[in-house]
Amino acid sequence: MKELREHAKELLEKGEVSAVIGYSQVSEKRTKPIIVTDPQDTDQLVFNEYCLNNLAVYLTKARIKVSCRTKDKTLKLAVTAKPCDVHSVVALIQENQIHREDIHIISFNCHGVAKDFGFEFSGDNIASKCINCETHKPLYFDKIFGEEKETPKASDDAMERIQEIERMSHQERFEFFKNEFDKCIKCYACRAVCPLCYCQRCITDKTIPRWIESSSHMRGNFAWNIVRAFHLSGRCTGCGECERACPVDIPLSLLNRRMAIKAKKSFSYVSGRSLETPTLVGSFNEKDNDELFM
Amino acid sequence: MKIGVFICHCGENISSTVDCPRVAKICESYPGVEYSVDYKYMCSDPGQNLIREAIQLYKLDAIVIGSCSPHMHERTFRNAAFSAGINPFMVEIANLREHCSWVHDDIESSTLKAIELVRMAIEKVKRDKPLSKINVPVTKRVLVIGGGIAGIQAALDVANAGYEVVLVEKEPSIGGHMSQLSETFPTLDCSQCILTPRMVEVHQHPKIKLLTYSEVVKVEGFIGNFKVTIKKKARHINEDLCSGCGMCISKCPIKKKAYNSFEEDLAFRSAVYIPFSQAIPNIPVIDETVCTYFQTGKCGMCLKVCDRGAINFDQKDTVMVADIGAIIVATGYKLYDIERKSADLKYKGYGEYGYGKYRDVIDGLQFERIASASGPTSGEMKRPSDGKEPKKIVFIQCVGSRDDSKGISYCSKICCMYTAKQAMLYRHKVHDGEAYVFYMDIRAGGKMYEEFVRRAIEEDKVKYIRGRVSRIYEENGKYIVKGEDTIAGMPVEIDADMVVLATAMIPQDNAPALARTIGIPYDKYGFFNESHPKLKPVESTTAGVFLAGACQSPKDIPESVAMASAAACKTIILLSSDTLEREPVVAKVNEDLCAGCFYCQKVCPFGAVEVKDVKDINGIVYKEVAFINQGVCQGCGTCTATCLSKSIELSGFNNEEIFAEIAAL
Amino acid sequence: MDNQKWEPKIVAFVCNWCTYTGADLAGTSRMKYPANTKMIRVMCSGSVDPVFILKAFERGADGILVSGCHPNDCHYNAGNFHARRRWDFFHELLDFIGIEKGRLQFSWISASEGKKFADVVSKVTKDIKAMGPFTNYQKMNSEFTALFPEEANADSEIINQIKETVL
Repeated sequence: MKELREHAKELLEKGEVSAVIGYSQVSEKRTKPIIVTDPQDTDQLVFNEYCLNNLAVYLTKARIKVSCRTKDKTLKLAVTAKPCDVHSVVALIQENQIHREDIHIISFNCHGVAKDFGFEFSGDNIASKCINCETHKPLYFDKIFGEEKETPKASDDAMERIQEIERMSHQERFEFFKNEFDKCIKCYACRAVCPLCYCQRCITDKTIPRWIESSSHMRGNFAWNIVRAFHLSGRCTGCGECERACPVDIPLSLLNRRMAIKAKKSFSYVSGRSLETPTLVGSFNEKDNDELFM
Repeated sequence: MKIGVFICHCGENISSTVDCPRVAKICESYPGVEYSVDYKYMCSDPGQNLIREAIQLYKLDAIVIGSCSPHMHERTFRNAAFSAGINPFMVEIANLREHCSWVHDDIESSTLKAIELVRMAIEKVKRDKPLSKINVPVTKRVLVIGGGIAGIQAALDVANAGYEVVLVEKEPSIGGHMSQLSETFPTLDCSQCILTPRMVEVHQHPKIKLLTYSEVVKVEGFIGNFKVTIKKKARHINEDLCSGCGMCISKCPIKKKAYNSFEEDLAFRSAVYIPFSQAIPNIPVIDETVCTYFQTGKCGMCLKVCDRGAINFDQKDTVMVADIGAIIVATGYKLYDIERKSADLKYKGYGEYGYGKYRDVIDGLQFERIASASGPTSGEMKRPSDGKEPKKIVFIQCVGSRDDSKGISYCSKICCMYTAKQAMLYRHKVHDGEAYVFYMDIRAGGKMYEEFVRRAIEEDKVKYIRGRVSRIYEENGKYIVKGEDTIAGMPVEIDADMVVLATAMIPQDNAPALARTIGIPYDKYGFFNESHPKLKPVESTTAGVFLAGACQSPKDIPESVAMASAAACKTIILLSSDTLEREPVVAKVNEDLCAGCFYCQKVCPFGAVEVKDVKDINGIVYKEVAFINQGVCQGCGTCTATCLSKSIELSGFNNEEIFAEIAAL
Repeated sequence: MDNQKWEPKIVAFVCNWCTYTGADLAGTSRMKYPANTKMIRVMCSGSVDPVFILKAFERGADGILVSGCHPNDCHYNAGNFHARRRWDFFHELLDFIGIEKGRLQFSWISASEGKKFADVVSKVTKDIKAMGPFTNYQKMNSEFTALFPEEANADSEIINQIKETVL
């Protein structure tokens, strides 16, 4: 913790970055994101099992960029990122939203985080993305802290739910998702927390033509959730923030994860893992599966 | 907006299954429709007048025509609309003939479908926006890829029309397969005698820049404005200094390490070589893979004997970029790998015929070299194994061709003729010899072709046997050819001294790779696709790229020459104007909304998407957005579907229009 | 709905260069196929957005066909390759959500394959007929129209009214 704060302080004092995006402690089992621009404030920074937010989402926020610029500082930002959040940073770099040289990645050896604020971190309360996590060490970083620790064992309930859905008939599946999507209140919290939903205007906000119906009805909900999952397929890095942010508990990760499984199975592609491989969307292989086509 | 609807009967073609007056009547009550009428022939002069008069009388803003396919008469109706004062892109066609009346029998259901199709068109036209054509400049220089007879002909035709030509050939000399042939059917005139003057003309033509031993590595841009990157491989000879005396070749100590591919591997060549004596340019090449200097660093004999100092071991490959207005692809063919040497194993070989195992089982081009006066035997009929004169020779047609089980279902077209010619040449050289031909059918369509085959049979006593050969094996110095005479209905066995296989013509190995470089489609064999099988046989589907010769499908010399001249003519038409008009169906980016993810750049097949900086009031770049070069964009719209924020629209097919069509269903 | 009378509504998104031309050839060759399918012409199969599919379902389509040029035969070289990847994902997503794969079908039909076009359209029509009306979506549609008549008809103006008078 001390090293983290010192490092952040040094970065700001030397003017290497104009802000450090990090976590600060709110209560024992709760943290919140903070953006530190004053070296004096760096002692608020923390890192522990309750740092749930994926801070990569702030890297593309125009307001932060503008505030950096108006203060006539370097545009460079430091971000505190768990190894899984680094995947989001990689995806953002691949999608030209940020440049690697403008981002200082502070990362950690990670052994998992709690499933939500207020839960004691343990095998029972571990976030589902941590259960089969393969990157306890970040793939890209500029500075790394923390010691390597064992991840608590837990059963992969989310995977079981996917398999359970796949065993259902199409009618049952439709009913299941219809009931889930029916809850949607179109608050777009899922969109707001997603680091990859960086569009300046989302298609759901477009009115001429109207892409997705915004009336409070199932049909628009259905379209929105399908399109959201589709736009993220092959891109989603699986941080699970959308599901955590959803106020009505729609199991959005089911869709994201199902599409990630597809990407891995059909194209051997896992999003956000490498800056060198071309993105799945926007590339093709002549030998891609052709069975779909008559 | 005032819309006019015009329903064509097309004589009875549409009206026999679609109740045209009913369609027109119903459309009258449709919102936005000012005028609706049906007429017997909309595309006729009176029909077009009807449209023009209605546009003026009812002050129409847009029109919908219910007629044949837009591929037939879209242009006609656009012109008619234009001449009556409305934008030609405010015209939509509902395809009531090809997609409705001709494919359905029931009058009621096809009339209902017709109404829906017209309704979709009306909804689309309501959202159409006036567009204007795009003008792009034309570079008046042509690239010809391939220096065989097709490429030579095309280059000469274009150059003689006064345009610059860059002719790229991957081999050290131009001439192609035609230069390897002995004599040509059906006249039996010497191939080289008619070809070499053309080759010299290419070499000396002031408008033709000849790049041999070179390859096209990259093609960017679009019709009228290609940027082509050409790699010139190192010959290790300074072309400006070399006089072509051949001293290096005669003194080169490496004589038997490399096969001579011009002689179809029937002879050796030295490490420094010219492919054949009439080569153009007459400048040797050093083969690094066998040259002692390159392998061990010693020797350097050629360096010593060259009195002009033209040998340059340090020469490197050079890369040049040329601005090109149009491209003619004439990369020709190769022969089917009988031994199944090709890496992809796409085709099955002919192990049962013993090619590669028996030295006297050869293919058609090898026979050409043996029969050629400039060949390894100086034109004497000698078989490769022991140099004896074969007294009994068997020709087998359709080796590879027309054989699904071996991977090729097409007919190679020229084998019937060249086999007849080769059998005839053999009989002319070996008067007491016997020549047999196994054939499936004789396909001798062409001027003097059938007569030529009859002459082989009747005058030169070539024995034709209809049937396939099952096996060839060696026994007591003879090659036993076992086959079947399907006319007599009995097995045949011939103890031959030599066997010639008329192998299929297939595209060059690198044809698919080149097609991808240029951006033209190819079929499953690797032959390049023409734009239309009947009406656009020399155009590729990519604007500004034309095809000539056997790279498109198997062809003989006159056909290749005709196609080359046709391609040259098309090219000359293209270059004759200073600017090109293009359809305005191109994509446009909404820069305010673009998030700058550049997925559009990744998917664009034409490299039309560029990065554009957007600056704030202080001149600081605050974001990068996509910008589409309208000259390069071909209007496929792949970017529009890929764009996540839907910040790209394709003019003429924008999302609003398509949504309206869906809604009108 | 009476199954005897019910005819499926099928939308086809076809590329201008191959499938649309192939459909023209089917017409020129007077091949017969069912009249249920209405075609929407786009420039390339690569330009078809998955939202078009949802829109069509929202407009009461029972089945959808997307068809383009064969791989390596695309007028635009690579549009269909990108489309193929996109549809592979979208198809699997719909399947997971409970929309049977048969509702959305794909094909490659070249300009010379008039016969194939007629066969594919007949097959899709047959498949959709066997599956019956797409009640799952249509239930949502009718609810929506009842709740928001103005928005439901915003794009299509008074199409429904016309439909009633015509059909």
